[in-house]
Amino acid sequence: MIGITTGSIYALAAVGLVLTFKTSGIFNFAHGAQAAAAAYVFFEFSERNHMPWPLAGVLTLALVGVVGGLVLERLAAGLAGAPLTARVAATIGLLVGTQATLEKIFGTQALIVRFFLPTQRIHLPGFFIRVDQIIVTLLALAGTLALFWFLRTRRLGIAMLAAIEDPDLLAAKGFSPIRVRRWAWIIGSCFATVSGMLLAPITSLNSSTLTLLVFYAFGAAAVGMFDSLLLTHAGGVAIGVGASLLTKYIHGGGALAGVPSSLPFIVLFGALVLAPRGRLRVRESGPVRRPLPSMHAARRTTPLVGASATLAALIVAPHVVGPAKVSLFASAVGFAVIFVSLALLVRVSGQISLCQMTFAGIGAATFGHATSAGWPWLLALLAAGLAALPAGAAVALPAFRLSGLYLAMATFSFALLVRDVLFFTPWMFGTRRDEVLEAPRPKLAGINFNSDVGYYYVVLAVAVLGLLLAWAVSRGRLGRLLRAMADAPMAVNAHGANTNVSKFMVFCVSAFLAGIGGAVLSPISGSINSLSYAPILSLIIVAVLFIAGPNPLAGSLIAAAFYVLIPGYITSRTVQPYIPISFGVLAIAAAVLAGRSFRQRLLDRLAVSPRAALAGRSPSRARLAEAGS
Amino acid sequence: MKALPRDPARFEADGLRVRFGGLLAVDGVSLSAGPGTITGLIGPNGAGKTTIFNACTGLVPLQEGTVSLDGRRLDGLNPAQRAQLGLGRTFQRMQLFDTMTALENVALGLEARLAGQTWWRQAGATRKERAACHDAARAALERCGIAHLAGVTAGYLPAGQRRLVEMARAIAGQFRFLLLDEPSSGLDEAETDRFGDILTGVAADDGIGILLVEHDVALVRRICSYIYVLDFGRLIHHGPTAEVMASEVVHAAYLGSEELEGAV
Repeated sequence: MIGITTGSIYALAAVGLVLTFKTSGIFNFAHGAQAAAAAYVFFEFSERNHMPWPLAGVLTLALVGVVGGLVLERLAAGLAGAPLTARVAATIGLLVGTQATLEKIFGTQALIVRFFLPTQRIHLPGFFIRVDQIIVTLLALAGTLALFWFLRTRRLGIAMLAAIEDPDLLAAKGFSPIRVRRWAWIIGSCFATVSGMLLAPITSLNSSTLTLLVFYAFGAAAVGMFDSLLLTHAGGVAIGVGASLLTKYIHGGGALAGVPSSLPFIVLFGALVLAPRGRLRVRESGPVRRPLPSMHAARRTTPLVGASATLAALIVAPHVVGPAKVSLFASAVGFAVIFVSLALLVRVSGQISLCQMTFAGIGAATFGHATSAGWPWLLALLAAGLAALPAGAAVALPAFRLSGLYLAMATFSFALLVRDVLFFTPWMFGTRRDEVLEAPRPKLAGINFNSDVGYYYVVLAVAVLGLLLAWAVSRGRLGRLLRAMADAPMAVNAHGANTNVSKFMVFCVSAFLAGIGGAVLSPISGSINSLSYAPILSLIIVAVLFIAGPNPLAGSLIAAAFYVLIPGYITSRTVQPYIPISFGVLAIAAAVLAGRSFRQRLLDRLAVSPRAALAGRSPSRARLAEAGS
Repeated sequence: MKALPRDPARFEADGLRVRFGGLLAVDGVSLSAGPGTITGLIGPNGAGKTTIFNACTGLVPLQEGTVSLDGRRLDGLNPAQRAQLGLGRTFQRMQLFDTMTALENVALGLEARLAGQTWWRQAGATRKERAACHDAARAALERCGIAHLAGVTAGYLPAGQRRLVEMARAIAGQFRFLLLDEPSSGLDEAETDRFGDILTGVAADDGIGILLVEHDVALVRRICSYIYVLDFGRLIHHGPTAEVMASEVVHAAYLGSEELEGAV
């Protein structure tokens, strides 16, 4: 029965998610974080302030559901027309920011929420059911059915589905598209809120597990192909029951130990990979285009001076920053490799990977095993990159069929799958959770790089090579094909280059670089631990990369500095919790601005005739325009 | 640098049938167009013209029928493979690489073809190949009269110039046969005239055959030597331009007598 109950709660969360996705085209990765926020707010009201639970529930619903929905509607409106990478980054920023805020307020300790619904047992032949389980199951089912009925028969419900198809027509029919969207977000948020409150007594409160737990809802949403509410509900229940049955039948450790908890991700990954062509689509609320670079090519050359100056600064850095900070700088430089591996996907090819830290983890684990087996250090480093490569290839396969949003989901489900199925096996981090793999520093060509400064230069050398590889890829033919693919994939295929091959290659290169990055980082602390490669970190680095600007190389260095140096230098305990919060907020801001700048340009283009715009820029442009006419 | 097949070829489509769920979008259409000629494919909106192009280039699956270039079957191949064998196309909804300059767009026309020859060629280009792409792009831009726009980011260009960039990219691709989907929409009268000259030049000088979907009847009449007329997914008439333009079946079904007379 517990399977049906938790399944019903996932279903409820998933139905809310599907509703907002269907009506806005924005897939809210922070849906789980919102449920977590609801659970905490409910806890605050009911446990800490001793309010009766119905009152606490209503207040939570008003605060997280209604107000949260209104805020989300504004965010979604700000993202209309933004490229997909920006839209994904925005809701990931929201997830990161919300989770960090919850941790700041409530701490990381798990909190216990008492069952608030009646828990009497009803005995039936051979088993018993608790009253709260029946209530939750029926409530969830009623919620889904009511929403289904509402969307099918009520004017506002029908208008919700029309809001994204043709907002102008909707306005002409006397419906305000903004009001319609607002309602959709409020209803979706309320579903998340209720699911969070119902889940709290079952799982105990912990912001990160709760945030990710509602990712289970993604599996359910995938069963309904992110479209059908009833199938989504059925999917949620089926996943709950399936996971519960698998837990019964798979005992103890072994390779299958992680399967029950990863069932939703297996379902999500499977549904994404096997879905019939054309079933998975994203409704767009208008034209979506990538932000344009400056109008003339001459203005966007890579400044060699800047690159040389950065390198020079990095070479002298260990002697300037003081011995205590050398390892911190080594981490930053090492992370630049991971960031550039991500930038190749996000910034060059317009695809999003939410499993970059998983690639890094595979690299680090391989490196640890290889060095402990006595392999030469450099060979172990290379092996780390090569071991991550098949993982990249595995993720590239769904990329053949999926694009954008669904690919992002597939990569994240891959990250969760690897964590649940592979992390705690002898192949990766060992079967004991506290097990630590050693990561030695090298002795190369007779020189011992054991000191912090010595190893810093090893990391720097590897990072320079990694960045050069990324630069070569992005400036070379593959980079051109990838950028072209991001703009107009059909045209690339129509001219004879297969975009699937390009995707496959860039995922392999990206995984290779991330694997190397993971490996070269681990000897800084000297040990390799699964915690450094938690799936949530893959989300955070996407948010940070998005803040760091569009240039793949400079952006990676800036992102690494943000991600490592800022927390390293701001040691004040009062300020530190605000760093991830600000990452989240800044990622949202950057994403909204990415959309806005493009819209502004579009408006400019519509308002002024292009030739006049061309001529108006400068005298040389005017001559150019004349020459053209 | 491996040589691309670039000799002009005859395009043939036989018994094409495309179904979207319950809708038979294209029903038993056969077309043939030789090298060095411009053939028109006309019909009202929704007649299935773009669907035929999509089916021929592998973007939508064919239920029945064959597509071939000089007898080499293309059906069953993916879009990139068809392009590799020499079938090029442009799109009704323009597919430009908006974040790149016009020159980069056009150079990619050839580069993508060179890259797609074997999978590993997509990883990198030789210096010689880069030079070839650059030269082909310059020549194609020149030919389309937009050499002065080479350094401008394509996303900023107005519709008419974007059409020309797409055409230049198709020319740079050195295809053996071209399918052009409403290439003159968005062009004004003078631009359309110039565009017509470019197409006639491609057919006459390079010997490349062109199948042209076009709404501008005056342009079709001026540059096409043979016309296929489509209605509701079926061919209702085909023949030399003068004969088709005079056909009453065509008048009744598609053009509307006024429109046709107006274009005369």
